Amino acid sequence: MRNGGEGRARLLLVILIVTSLFLITLDLRGVKVIEGFKQGTQTVLSPFQRAGAAVLNPVKDFFSDVTHLGRTRSQIEKLEAENAALKIKLLNRKNADGQLKQLEAILDLAGTAGYKVVNAKVISHGSSQSFSQTLTIDSGSNAGIKKNMTVLSQFGLAGVVKDVYPNSALIQLASDPAFKVGARIAGSQQIGILSGRGNRSASLQLLDNSTTIKVGDVLLARGSVANRPFVPGVPLGYVSQVDNSAGAVAQTATVRYYTNFSTLGVVAIVVSGPTSDPGDALIPEKPRVAPVPTVTVTVTPSPTASK
Amino acid sequence: MLTRQISIATPIFLMIFVIQEAVVSQFRLPGGGFSILLIFALTWAVLSQPEVAAVIGFASGIFMDLSQSASGPFGQWTLIMLLAGYAISYIGYGDDNIHANAIGIVFFVVVANFFVEIAYLLSGALLGVSTGSIGQIITTLFGMSIWALLVSPIMLPIFTRLHAMIFDSRSSI
Repeated sequence: MRNGGEGRARLLLVILIVTSLFLITLDLRGVKVIEGFKQGTQTVLSPFQRAGAAVLNPVKDFFSDVTHLGRTRSQIEKLEAENAALKIKLLNRKNADGQLKQLEAILDLAGTAGYKVVNAKVISHGSSQSFSQTLTIDSGSNAGIKKNMTVLSQFGLAGVVKDVYPNSALIQLASDPAFKVGARIAGSQQIGILSGRGNRSASLQLLDNSTTIKVGDVLLARGSVANRPFVPGVPLGYVSQVDNSAGAVAQTATVRYYTNFSTLGVVAIVVSGPTSDPGDALIPEKPRVAPVPTVTVTVTPSPTASK
Repeated sequence: MLTRQISIATPIFLMIFVIQEAVVSQFRLPGGGFSILLIFALTWAVLSQPEVAAVIGFASGIFMDLSQSASGPFGQWTLIMLLAGYAISYIGYGDDNIHANAIGIVFFVVVANFFVEIAYLLSGALLGVSTGSIGQIITTLFGMSIWALLVSPIMLPIFTRLHAMIFDSRSSI
């Protein structure tokens, strides 16, 4: 009896393992059934994600404030001075205002380059259990979004459309380890490949071994054939560190993305690229140092001083 | 008996999957955050018989593969969770050192969480899945383990009661 039970358990285990391997094989061979299954799941899930995003936005803001407590201490001290009613109002409006600000900046960027964009709200950030960096937006094929379209943030490149569903789309962030984009250095026009690392930094591999790069160099997207997946001229980031390892075939560098992926609330999807390459027109302005007024004190001897 | 239990357990896993995708995924938590579905499946595997744990692992793996954030081929999580479920239950089932106290279960779940992620990385490397730099992987691995350590004790009473309700076992803590 015991042997029979063990035999059945083993048989069950073997059947399940074979089924899993069968599923992996089907997916690697690109069978459409699996793709359809995933699309169906996302279609069902997106209303829940929308609802979750709407309900949890104030909570997210609260956690964001707690995370940045040290950096925003002075801001918090100011807020403490305000009355309670104003605080509640501010909390409710904060999210909408932040998104509006992001949207304004994105439209500025898209307008300068002549990109036709569709704006979308982020409704879900992907889990990191699979070591991938993705997010889901609330617009999909019904809004004209297609696979392999460039996704912009207010600062530059945010990612690329990986999958599209009727009312939502999955975005592969530029920080994803599998993400790669052709880049050129503004000014010198040297070209290379930028790869995501799982965080805000990325690695740049130059293609020409005779060229050099320096810290502070700005990187822009080179653009793809027919503007997909990447439109040309999108700001990517700047060189934060140059790796000078002896024996390397071509120079490599660490790049910091302009986009802060953890604060993305609104993004724009480029549905139509520019008619001409915008060149270096989208390079963000360098932050200006505000002049500090100098106080000059002149000491004049008092006429009433004792002799 | 097993079919009845699994058919009752599947909607619960579906609900946990929706919570993971609609609620937990809203937060980009430091260190990679946590997967409530993974913690739930591992907790159930600790409390169940090996063959039940394997089926539960299989079902939860299917849901994890359906997640939009799954970067590997469909079936990768299914295979890992199925084997992990069976292995965890095989090691832990009937061991009173693990079952007798909540700390034992939490410790077992956290360690299993860590090794499941490593198994995902290794199988992903074989299947050609990009997983990022070593530093980022280490951060995510330890970050997710710490989150599992924080979340598991909070969720354990709910998970064990659900398990006891369906499987009529004495594992409620």
